[in-house]
Amino acid sequence: MMDRRKFLKMSAAGLGALTLDGAAVLPAFAQESRLAMFYDNAKCIGCKACQMACKQWNKLGPVSTDPQGVYESPEGLAPDAWTLIKLANYPLNDNRDYLFIKVGCMHCGDPACAAVCPTDALLKLPNGVVRVDQNLCNGCGYCSKVCPFHIPQMRVASELSGEAKTSKCTFCQDRVVQGLRPYCVQSCPADALDWGDREAMLTKAKGRLEALKPDYPQANLYGENVLGGLGRLYLLLAPPEAYGLPQDPAFPFGATLWQKVVKPVGQVAFGATALGILAAFFIVRGKVHMEEVE
Amino acid sequence: MSVQLRGTDAGISIRWIPKYTTLERVLHWVHTAAFIPLSVTGFIIYASWLMPLAQGSAGESLRLIHRISAVFFGGVPIVYALLAPRRMVMNMKEFLTFSRYDTLWLKGAFPYYVLGKHEDMPPQPRFNTGERLTAVVMVVGTIVFGITGLSMWFLRGMMPDWLYQAMVIVHDLMFIVTFAMFIVHFYLAVVHPMMWQSLVSMRYGVVSESYAREHHTMWYYGEQRATELWEAHQKQANKKAGAS
Repeated sequence: MMDRRKFLKMSAAGLGALTLDGAAVLPAFAQESRLAMFYDNAKCIGCKACQMACKQWNKLGPVSTDPQGVYESPEGLAPDAWTLIKLANYPLNDNRDYLFIKVGCMHCGDPACAAVCPTDALLKLPNGVVRVDQNLCNGCGYCSKVCPFHIPQMRVASELSGEAKTSKCTFCQDRVVQGLRPYCVQSCPADALDWGDREAMLTKAKGRLEALKPDYPQANLYGENVLGGLGRLYLLLAPPEAYGLPQDPAFPFGATLWQKVVKPVGQVAFGATALGILAAFFIVRGKVHMEEVE
Repeated sequence: MSVQLRGTDAGISIRWIPKYTTLERVLHWVHTAAFIPLSVTGFIIYASWLMPLAQGSAGESLRLIHRISAVFFGGVPIVYALLAPRRMVMNMKEFLTFSRYDTLWLKGAFPYYVLGKHEDMPPQPRFNTGERLTAVVMVVGTIVFGITGLSMWFLRGMMPDWLYQAMVIVHDLMFIVTFAMFIVHFYLAVVHPMMWQSLVSMRYGVVSESYAREHHTMWYYGEQRATELWEAHQKQANKKAGAS
């Protein structure tokens, strides 16, 4: 007996296999193991093909920028810029004094954005993707104020009415669900990006780290364990701070306090008050004689 | 006011004492009409079974309702301060005046409101201890909601994340206190059988003489006489206890 979910998965797989390049279809989609993206800093040439691919697949519009004579464009993530190649000045020992990094949603194992989302518009899927459902988002913007990496960007229609929608990299959730790789990975001409089962990506990253260590002693792997393990694994040639990444990102205390303490306290307080009042009403109703009430 | 009982020669006469002005009653109901939608729209994130109401365009509408209601909620004290500043100051002073009778009131509140025993209730001024505490919490709440709400509304982009999170937490804690308090306030003012005149007073602005004498002795008799009566009552109660 095949359940509906399995049927849909198989149909999607069949459709994908029929209509797309077979080599691009990953076996990992069929299982619900955690997927991850691997970014190899040593291979990235900063060509921004990933940026363009992201815009193309996700139908993102242009972002107006104020040219400052720097490489980055736009200056930061935006509702229409979910990924970005950033340039960091840092003296390396290979005659380069700059570094590239591709930034975007980290798809944390323990995502604060999804924890505070009151609508499940942001939700961690079993495959590790922190999905965005624009139809569910009500524009509250809590996600954008708890992310340790400042990733979610609000597309604000009106500050006054609060009409807005969140936006961030979804790892091309519509492609991934069909067993395809995110479009940025597919577009990378330098083989700096890879996609697949997180364990496999970790093995690959560690192998690369071993290989690079002799020439780049500061090389490190970023994202293996922090915040429940990131879905975006970075092999960096320099310390994380050189790229503007927090050395030790943590789940925000405010979000923990809100979700784990304040909310339960509120639920208990409301429930206890309502029940207490109800009980008090039934007790007093039997005790009071209305003819004696002033 | 006297009322002739139908079909008889008997009549009852009730003397009404003004408690609230028309402006106070209108503003009270505007405040209520603003607080209820504010609470309900805020409560939704405390009840996961109500999540569909927070999602998508329904959620957007509720956020808009929350903001519109907030304008009225914040507007009430401003209008009151502009139209009746002296009265507002007078009430504030009364809200903030506490005496030795308040601890006795708190002790006697449970037997009184739940078990209907009114013998041990100490004399109270125009607002009893519970009403004054409610008013103080609501005044503090209005200030806190105003600061945190307006900051989240208009300064979100400028605030550091930790400050924004602190605003959310303080806003929510104030909501927990005021909403729980509102449930009690609603019960006592609208549902509780002994307090039937609260609703009358907030509708017509008056309470009956007998109600004022029973519930607000200090307001009805003045502080000195009320104290004398209370002390005499205490003596009598002690005698009874001694005799038994």
